[in-house]
Amino acid sequence: MPPGLLYVLVYSAEYALVAAGFSLVYRTGRVFHFAHGAVLTCGAYSLFALHVLAGVPLLPAVPLALGLTSLVGAMVESIVYAPMRRKGAQSLTLLVASLGTYVVLQNIISLLFGDDTKQIAHGAAQGVNLLGTWLTVIHITVLAAAALLLAGLAVLMRATRTGKAMRAVANDADLARVSGVDPERAALWASLIAAALAGAAGMLLAVDVDVTPTMGMKPLMMGLVAGIVGGLGSVPGAALGALVLGLAQYACVWLLGSQWQDAGAFVILLVFLAVRPYGILGAPLRRATV
Amino acid sequence: MDYVLHLLTIVGIYVILAVSLNLLAGYTGLLSVAHAALFGVGAYTAALLSLHFHMPLLLNLILAVTACAVVGVVVGLPSLRVHEDFFVVATLGLQVLTVTIFNNWTAITGGPAGLPGIPQPTVFGLTITSHVQFLVLTGVFAVLAITVVKRLVGSPLGRVLKAVREDEVFAQSLGKNVARYKLQMFVIGGALTALAGVLYAHYLTFIDPTSFTVQESIFMLAIVIVGGSGSIAGSVVGAAVLVSLPEALRFLGLPSAVAANVRQILYGALLVICMMFRPQGILGEFAFRKR
Repeated sequence: MPPGLLYVLVYSAEYALVAAGFSLVYRTGRVFHFAHGAVLTCGAYSLFALHVLAGVPLLPAVPLALGLTSLVGAMVESIVYAPMRRKGAQSLTLLVASLGTYVVLQNIISLLFGDDTKQIAHGAAQGVNLLGTWLTVIHITVLAAAALLLAGLAVLMRATRTGKAMRAVANDADLARVSGVDPERAALWASLIAAALAGAAGMLLAVDVDVTPTMGMKPLMMGLVAGIVGGLGSVPGAALGALVLGLAQYACVWLLGSQWQDAGAFVILLVFLAVRPYGILGAPLRRATV
Repeated sequence: MDYVLHLLTIVGIYVILAVSLNLLAGYTGLLSVAHAALFGVGAYTAALLSLHFHMPLLLNLILAVTACAVVGVVVGLPSLRVHEDFFVVATLGLQVLTVTIFNNWTAITGGPAGLPGIPQPTVFGLTITSHVQFLVLTGVFAVLAITVVKRLVGSPLGRVLKAVREDEVFAQSLGKNVARYKLQMFVIGGALTALAGVLYAHYLTFIDPTSFTVQESIFMLAIVIVGGSGSIAGSVVGAAVLVSLPEALRFLGLPSAVAANVRQILYGALLVICMMFRPQGILGEFAFRKR
């Protein structure tokens, strides 16, 4: 097995978390949720504030920080997106508002905590040598947490009333409404769950790498690419897209060098947008207009 | 006094950027977030040419315009295949790709260290050195850009563009070659962006990738949208307000690190508020309300 190939799984797990949350808001809330990246950063900073600044032990700090992040996500939904949707705002208007929200949130974090790099985990983490790759405890935590969260999300979407409501609204908001499902409520749930997923991804990144106000941009973009490659709209799509992206980036590092891996990701995105914009697992959207 | 002249020059450069982006986003409905990348291509072309070959401004300009027009077509290509959100993502991809190249192709672009010592431009044997001279040059370029866009959108072609923006299929059903018009606009929009890029490189005499990032693209979009999409006057007002408003923060005595954040919060919030309450902007006519 080539060295470092298992890292692909670690990075893919993070991309998949971001992609799953993004596509939830995109499909159910009908918002191209750029602010998702800033919500991720909020997750990292709430853990930093609680654990490092306030000295709360890790075990209560993580769920608290997750709660805080979900709150931010729900606030973005109910203060910005929901009123706009009620006024009949179209996708591009919402997209631009989301870009603005991203900029605002990121800079509020900058103002509160400063632009310098923060760290949550200190020193070298312990690790194991698995199939020729040195995996730290943190990496294993990332893998386990992502697997659990994604499996949980898949079950939630299939088996619970809320999950079914979110899928119904994603499919057809009007049809859902006449069947007694409240699309606004579903969108709020979607934003809460998406923010929790983004928060988890942010915390995992924070512990694995470090914390900066702009840390959300890259995972957001990679999550976006993963989501589009796999097909926005399903948990398996997000996971598959993330895996394909991770492998492609690995190949890119191997062939061209690590500085070109982001470029590689966007080349893949452009290829997919040209050839198969609905992704590997997605189906072409049929837009019925009268 | 120099400070006011400097501010006016920067406003002028952003007027060119906003007007050219407005041609794409406001008039044709192609919301591109790769405008800073185009700006960068123009700036880097001018910088490299004058650093290595000491070319006069006019020659720099012609080559930068050509380069930006070509890259503009590349940015525009996805618009033939994907629409709305996905087109935005495609341009976002190209934007990040371009900055990655600026950052990593160190042999040519100097990487994150940028390109220092760009010589001041020579026009017909006269070297532009003072603030006043630069302002005049910027003014000439800005008027040129405004005139080009004004003539375009005032012509029958302008009506076709608006038709493409409002309903692409409808425009097509009237026999309009939508794909050709879109690419034409990217050629013209790109070429105009080059004007701003060339000015910027020569004016600051130093460029690095941080001036051409996604954030910068969003800022340009904010100027166009807050000023008013589909309105040239809107773009001019938007550039003047959004570029100079943060300068006011300086006089409030905020430390520069805080002022940078407050500036960004300000334009981010303006963008959100505008989308929520007045999607057509201050002076605009188009509200991104397709279908």
